[in-house]
Amino acid sequence: MATFRWPGNLDTFAPLRVMARELDRLMGRQQEYQQVGGGVYPPVNVFSGSDDMVVQCELAGVKREDIDLSITGETLVIKGAKHTAAKEEDVRYERRERGVGEFSRTVVLPDRVEPSQVQATLKDGILTIRLPKSEAARPRQIPVK
Amino acid sequence: MTDKSDKNVKVSAGRVEPRHSESTVTPLVDIYEQQDGTVIVLTEVPGAPAENIDIRVEKGVLTISAQAVVEEPGDAYSRTYVSFGEASYFRAFALSDEIDREKIEASCSDGLLTLRLPKAASAQTRKIEIKSE
Repeated sequence: MATFRWPGNLDTFAPLRVMARELDRLMGRQQEYQQVGGGVYPPVNVFSGSDDMVVQCELAGVKREDIDLSITGETLVIKGAKHTAAKEEDVRYERRERGVGEFSRTVVLPDRVEPSQVQATLKDGILTIRLPKSEAARPRQIPVK
Repeated sequence: MTDKSDKNVKVSAGRVEPRHSESTVTPLVDIYEQQDGTVIVLTEVPGAPAENIDIRVEKGVLTISAQAVVEEPGDAYSRTYVSFGEASYFRAFALSDEIDREKIEASCSDGLLTLRLPKAASAQTRKIEIKSE
């Protein structure tokens, strides 16, 4: 289980990742680097707005009933399982790249959320979670009298 | 700039990283053969709707290309952490002569593309009975 937290919008490792990617591109290894959806550590995107946050998670081949979402304070946990399509003894595998098994991804959100109003949709293998910020975390405009 | 609506001007905080969509991604596959000889190819194409998937067989090569659609919430949101985007997927496989090219079937659900490649009748194992005279 892994956690990440950047202070605000500041991504400390962004320059390093850009450099790694540039190096890979120079060495012609881009394809390796760009592989997606694999294994038991699904990639996520986090977007933060003024009233809500949007988390996207790449879950190719995971069924809706196999996904379990939970929120505790500022922590969102996406759990699930990727099943094999066929029984091992029935078929002969030529190639096996897709990961199989349980996965769990913990996302520390930038703000507190209103857990009762969270909505999640799954479309074409991408899970989109809309998390409204809790009242206290929303920006409030104070009129100057 | 003649635009007077200052408040609509967005200054993006931090670095703007290049979009992943600029390059092609190799999708992950599982390939297995069923007991009846049908070869199943499972390809992960997260974000690609069925209409964005193109499967071709040309000169014995099966190519799968797909374009993902990942809708970003819009300019009002800051990109706190972005690790995937609108990838275009591409992968090609050489087909064995035993595969019946006319009978290839494809279906897609939850970002997983399933291809069924049945063996041609001439390539299927046939049990030959010995006739007794």
